[in-house]
Amino acid sequence: MMKMILRRLASSCLSLFILVALVFFLAHLTPGGPAYSILGQKATPESVAQLNQRLGLDQPLLKQFGLWIWHLLHGELGYSYLLNRPVGQLLWVYERNTLIFYTVSIIISTALSIALGLIQGVWFGRWPAKLIGAFQLGFYALPPFFVAAMLILWFAVDVHWLPASGIIDLRDPHAGIASFAAHLVLPVTTVSLLTVSSLSRYFGEAVHEELGKDYVRTARAKGVSFASILFRHVMRNALRPLITILGLSFPYIFTGGVIVESVFNYPGLGWLMWRSALSQDYPILIAIVLVIGVLTVLGNLLADLVNGLLDPRASYE
Amino acid sequence: MNAVLEIKNLSVTLKRGGRDVTILDQLNLRIAPGEMQALVGESGSGKTIAALAIMRLLPPGAAITGEILLNGENLAAAVEPRMRQVRGKSVAMVFQNPLAALNPSRTIAAQIGEAWRVHQGGSAAQARARALELLDEVGIPDPKNRLNDYPHQFSGGMRQRVMIAMSLACSPHLLIADEPTTGLDPLIAQQIMTLIARLRRERDMAVLFVTHDLSVVQEHADSIHVLYAGRSVEWGAAAAFFQHPRHPYSEALLGSVARLGQARLRNIPGNLPEPEQRPPGCRFAPRCAYASAVCSTAYPPADAQGATLAACFHPLPRTARPAFAETLAPRPARNFAPLLDVTDLGVRYRGAGGWFGAARRLPPSLAEVSFRLGRGECLGVVGESGSGKSSLGRAVLQMIEYDGQVTLDGHDFHAMAGRAKRDLRRKIQVVFQDPRESMNPRMTIGEVIAEPLRLRGGLNNAARRARVEALLGQVGLNPEMAARHPGDVSGGQAQRIAIARALAAEPELIVLDEPTSALDVSTQAMLLNLLKDLSLKHALSYILISHDFAVVSYMSDRIAVLNAGRIVEMNETAALLSAPRAAYTRALIGAAPQLQPMQA
Ligand SMILES: Nc1ncnc2c1ncn2[C@@H]1O[C@H](COP(=O)(O)OP(=O)(O)OP(=O)(O)O)[C@@H](O)[C@H]1O
Ligand code: SF4
Ligand SMILES: [Mg+2]
Repeated sequence: MMKMILRRLASSCLSLFILVALVFFLAHLTPGGPAYSILGQKATPESVAQLNQRLGLDQPLLKQFGLWIWHLLHGELGYSYLLNRPVGQLLWVYERNTLIFYTVSIIISTALSIALGLIQGVWFGRWPAKLIGAFQLGFYALPPFFVAAMLILWFAVDVHWLPASGIIDLRDPHAGIASFAAHLVLPVTTVSLLTVSSLSRYFGEAVHEELGKDYVRTARAKGVSFASILFRHVMRNALRPLITILGLSFPYIFTGGVIVESVFNYPGLGWLMWRSALSQDYPILIAIVLVIGVLTVLGNLLADLVNGLLDPRASYE
Repeated sequence: MNAVLEIKNLSVTLKRGGRDVTILDQLNLRIAPGEMQALVGESGSGKTIAALAIMRLLPPGAAITGEILLNGENLAAAVEPRMRQVRGKSVAMVFQNPLAALNPSRTIAAQIGEAWRVHQGGSAAQARARALELLDEVGIPDPKNRLNDYPHQFSGGMRQRVMIAMSLACSPHLLIADEPTTGLDPLIAQQIMTLIARLRRERDMAVLFVTHDLSVVQEHADSIHVLYAGRSVEWGAAAAFFQHPRHPYSEALLGSVARLGQARLRNIPGNLPEPEQRPPGCRFAPRCAYASAVCSTAYPPADAQGATLAACFHPLPRTARPAFAETLAPRPARNFAPLLDVTDLGVRYRGAGGWFGAARRLPPSLAEVSFRLGRGECLGVVGESGSGKSSLGRAVLQMIEYDGQVTLDGHDFHAMAGRAKRDLRRKIQVVFQDPRESMNPRMTIGEVIAEPLRLRGGLNNAARRARVEALLGQVGLNPEMAARHPGDVSGGQAQRIAIARALAAEPELIVLDEPTSALDVSTQAMLLNLLKDLSLKHALSYILISHDFAVVSYMSDRIAVLNAGRIVEMNETAALLSAPRAAYTRALIGAAPQLQPMQA
């Protein structure tokens, strides 16, 4: 087991390295550069060259990359060009916001997916399942920013029940837990609507499939009630594919999250990433890619570990 | 005596393709306490449906009429909550394929314990203690340490024991076993049957035992009930049935079972009709050798003039020809020109290795296997599952890597390369247990058979089509079959198509890997006869791999017995059967279910 984890982490390091390298070179090869963002579009070529030299941007790319990796190995992620603060320090605040946002979203979407999927699996092919299926397809097809915009229009602009955006910082003394929670409602709803639409469908199909298996007939032949069959036998086996899918859809959830965070002005990693990309603040951008990559790897690993606990046949040799 | 189970006029209707189809028609049967009754019939005759009807576990949309009296209570009219109290407590069921029938992610203690707790209540600890008792009773060694194991950690036979333990949890009055030994190898199957027989004696439990294997019935059952196309054709005491079958279908069925030393198998012409296409009157009439005009007028009434009851207008009299007319003649020894030479064959599979770690070394699956095979000869290969039979076939077919030498027609495969090697390989073809798995469902049968012809080249379209039709004729199929798809043919037909495809390559040797295990006895007989004729006609050699000793001895000139990857004994068929030298061979022969020849 331990060996499996270590092996997985080792192979993930390689993937992460490739990912980071790719983003590093792509970002540095885009025209313009951070100097223009800092000095303004009208900056003279001389001042730009001077600044580039100070930031080390005039060095060969390969050397810059080597330097970045060297710093990373020493636990440093560099300085933000624009905000002039260590990236590590900056990231932490946003990362915390993002973690809260995703954890809440994933818990809510999983719970909802299980509930809907059970209904769909049990009444497969009949009207309750068909009704849910129609909604799943609808939401699955919608782009995240559209859902976000609609939610803002209804709940924030029309009825003023919930704030559309504007949470600035968790450390703001005026922003209590209640206000923070209120700010979370719409982004979490957006992400959940989108993930639930596909997750619940997978789970519903898994439940339906499990219900058709021979061991269910065996359980019925023992006199076990339907509810017990569903919760003691079927649930656990049907959860396995759900968790695998959840693990695999982390990158998808994160990319959806970037858009959702930006639309709702929610100060998380996605939002920061969007900003840094616009201003070509490379150190932040690359650090965020790294963090999201690590989160994805860990999420996947967690999914596999949970699956291993659920499935006695999985053996890690 | 009071019956545990009495079924009166039971009919079952299922929904198929939007229509109601009567699958089981007017079934009447009775089982007394401690009695073991076999419900017998070909695949699709309605055996499983009858068993599921008693449990009231039929698929949705099913309708039943008639009475199912269990200790006097009519289950056909019971409501679902009542059925939940009955299932597992008064009637329990053991299913075929225990790996699928057990929940893969719960321990066996939990699954056995559940069967007990559902009805008796009690604590988890008590349920565990009960599970331990039961595992011990069904003969699981060291049961204490197996309680927390999962189904996949047991072998096939052990899993079936676990299934049986589960069904015994509440000491049911009636045990229904649906093909409990199908798919297990004969040694294990015999242990399971002996276990069931012992348990019903000790517990005075009635057993309804669903099977298509007549030799197992003869060995274990008290009474028999034969179904054909959803209706009873003959029923009564098992001993009387095997002595003097009275229904023409029973006689034909018994005649088609392969027995040791038989010169020729009999088979039943035609096919079992689908439920939608059952003929009027006697359903067996289109295939019956004794049919007369009256047979198609109405379903025949039960005739009680003999020891068993037969639903037939012209039941066979006692003096009719006995069920097995053929003399069990010894096979004449034949001389063969040499064809295949296998020397020191060894096969070792690699275990699952890690990304970085080296692959684990597994013990060899085959070691020091040497034999010769002549032109037109059939070598039978027997052994329990895991003994290396299929590995042997695959090595000869050059499908896996092996050590040692395989020489065909004087050419060593290891010394050949390129086109010459491919041409040599083509001379060895294969037929597997489930031929449909190796056929592209989108191709027509004609395309499937033409594939080897196309690969070889040299034929234009018209010539190829003519060849396909000729091949279909050779295996006894209608040329119109060429336009159909593998999905819409029966198992027996699919196997004939696989043989036609193998023949298309003009092989000298065909490896037959369990070619008839998935087929009913009557279909099996047809296929074995066909293979025998083809071998005589084309001097075709076979390596026949099978669980079934009777099938192997019917077909083979010589038999090789494999145990743990080594040949423990190899001899002429008659000599091996009459005087087996190795203890392992004796065990295998002893476990092989055998229909005993009857005196007329
Ligand atoms: N769920 C179902 N829906 C519709 N038809 C079915 C269903 N199950 C079985 N049948 C049909 O009912 C008939 C009898 O089937 P049954 O399973 O009882 O046969 P069997 O005698 O048990 O055969 P086998 O030896 O292959 O197990 C067959 O024609 C089969 O196609
Ligand atoms: S009733 Fe007629 S057709 Fe049917 S089995 Fe008897 S003799 Fe044959
Ligand atoms: Mg069946």
